[in-house]
Amino acid sequence: MSSHSKAAEKFIADRPRTDWHNQALWFVRQKRDNMARSIPEWEALREAAARTKMHTITHLAYYLEMFERNATANGIHVHWAKDALEHNETVYNILKEHGVKHLVKSKSMLAEECGLSPYLEERGIEAVESDLGERIMQLMHQPPSHIVLPAIHVKRQEVGELFERELGTEHGNSDPTYLTHAAREHLRDKFLHADAAMTGVNFAVASSGAFVVCTNEGNADMGTSFPKLHIAIMGLEKVIPDYDALAIYHRLLARSATGQHSTTYTSHYKRPVEGQEMHIVIVDNGRSKILGNPVHRNMLRCLRCGSCMNTCPVYRRSGGYSYSYFIPGPLGINLGMLADPKQYSGNVSACSLCMSCSNVCPVKIDLGEQIYSWRQELDTLGLANPVKKGIVKVLNTALGSPGMFHFCIKAGRLGEKISPRGLLYCGANAWGRSRELPEFTARTFEQIWKEELSSTASCNTETARKGSSTNI
Amino acid sequence: MTSKDTILEALKANSPAPVERGPLGFTPMTFQDPLAKFQENVVSIAAAKCFLLQDGESVDDIIRRVYPDAKRIASNLPEVTCATVNPDGLDDPRQLAGTDVGVVRGEFGVVENGAIWIPRAVRHKALMFISEALVILLDRRNIVNNMHEAYARPGFDDYEFGSFIAGPSKTADIEQALVIGAHGPRDVTVILL
Repeated sequence: MSSHSKAAEKFIADRPRTDWHNQALWFVRQKRDNMARSIPEWEALREAAARTKMHTITHLAYYLEMFERNATANGIHVHWAKDALEHNETVYNILKEHGVKHLVKSKSMLAEECGLSPYLEERGIEAVESDLGERIMQLMHQPPSHIVLPAIHVKRQEVGELFERELGTEHGNSDPTYLTHAAREHLRDKFLHADAAMTGVNFAVASSGAFVVCTNEGNADMGTSFPKLHIAIMGLEKVIPDYDALAIYHRLLARSATGQHSTTYTSHYKRPVEGQEMHIVIVDNGRSKILGNPVHRNMLRCLRCGSCMNTCPVYRRSGGYSYSYFIPGPLGINLGMLADPKQYSGNVSACSLCMSCSNVCPVKIDLGEQIYSWRQELDTLGLANPVKKGIVKVLNTALGSPGMFHFCIKAGRLGEKISPRGLLYCGANAWGRSRELPEFTARTFEQIWKEELSSTASCNTETARKGSSTNI
Repeated sequence: MTSKDTILEALKANSPAPVERGPLGFTPMTFQDPLAKFQENVVSIAAAKCFLLQDGESVDDIIRRVYPDAKRIASNLPEVTCATVNPDGLDDPRQLAGTDVGVVRGEFGVVENGAIWIPRAVRHKALMFISEALVILLDRRNIVNNMHEAYARPGFDDYEFGSFIAGPSKTADIEQALVIGAHGPRDVTVILL
């Protein structure tokens, strides 16, 4: 059993909660569909987005150097980090130089990827998450379960209890408006007293040396409005050529992510303001290696919108924590395998190959196809499931010759009749755990073909041939 | 070798054959009556209030009518005579805490998403985010159809900080229930001049 199946078993044990989770995400997917249908050029926009990203990732060194040159000219300090450790050290050194004790953060998947918050906390720096969902998860001491909707799996009653304990809200009050406004007061204080602000980067515009941060809450904007120091961190694939490209992604991001026309705040940072210092850390951490992988380099196009998760039937019904990589869903399955196949191969089975993820992706990443290809690669990587390998060997023999094939069919029909239910539905039959096996038909297809269909079929072929010749 | 060199070298070594960017490949959506549609979208999409300034009416009239209880109104715009604070006179942005209404000027509006481009033209950008209510003044002639037109406007790149703002601050992080007033303004009013 894969690591995902095992973890998902816990999640789906609570059936009403599974349905609730599924519905919550499906609602977001439907909002995305409404957006897509309201833009006549939607598919052409996706096409342009995919092509522009392909152009960018095949010119990454060029655009990154252009970005660095322009950002530096704008007065932004640019740093480069090979891996997660160098990223964490770079951030820590900047904070240490400025004597920072309290950092206020907006959501960044890169920070999660690098394990930044625990790294800073070990060194005596408090990193407060300011996105409401992220803050809820931080107070619960749990990771986010979705990259855009971090607390999508948490019920309002649980937030109510958490805030009563942590922020002193009224007992038994779980009204989202009341709780959100309590968090507003709590975080307002953090914003005003932070020594430094950190944001992620949605887009880095090479031609201008500016970077763009999108939020609905305005938490990134509030965070960067008071302290003298702003550190932005970006995966190197976040660079885009210019504003023409930004127009494309601006139109697609929020529509794909949450089904909004745009985020409430799409903020552009180009120069530090009076008395402020601005730093940006450009991080590789395996991305340059992904570029060299012909099957999987498309992953570098990703905007981190999360639409592949919202649409995924497996994610919706198994939750973010069923995946062993910190990013769940189709995106996480692929990124996990690229990060460390040995550690994360337990996720590749979490896919029904319905390809819905590939169909909603705003930059047309072939997410489902890539998961399929990872499954093909498992044996080469020495990670194939031995039970499944055994089954394939047996099938190979069973289907290897007509004699063997016929024998197996007969044996199967007999087996179905005489086997006790307890044996057919034993633990080894995962498929039969929540489903009934279909009954064998009275005759095999081969028998039906020989007895009835073959004569009619040849007749039809004859008619078809005549028909076509008449037409000619 | 520096990390920058290591990274750039790896990117160059691993880069596949270059892909051409190509033309945009489509005509972006436009609107028959952009001003009317913009007003509609500011309300229905961005969840803000929207007023077209009438003859004989002043910006002050509208601000006073919409926010009758506002005590602290911050603005550096000359036409906002009801302002009680000039935010540019404050040395520390934290002094803006407790602002009831902040008034700023937007440069242009975008019909397709109801957002308004606001390059920072006050000393502290905090004004745009910490005010309980934000009033945005916008010239009604400065409306573009879509984001392609927005970013292609001459002189767009001329800003230090700027934000496309679409209505009040919002969140849906608790059970996907939409709540207005997450961290920033709880209310936004657009006045078209």
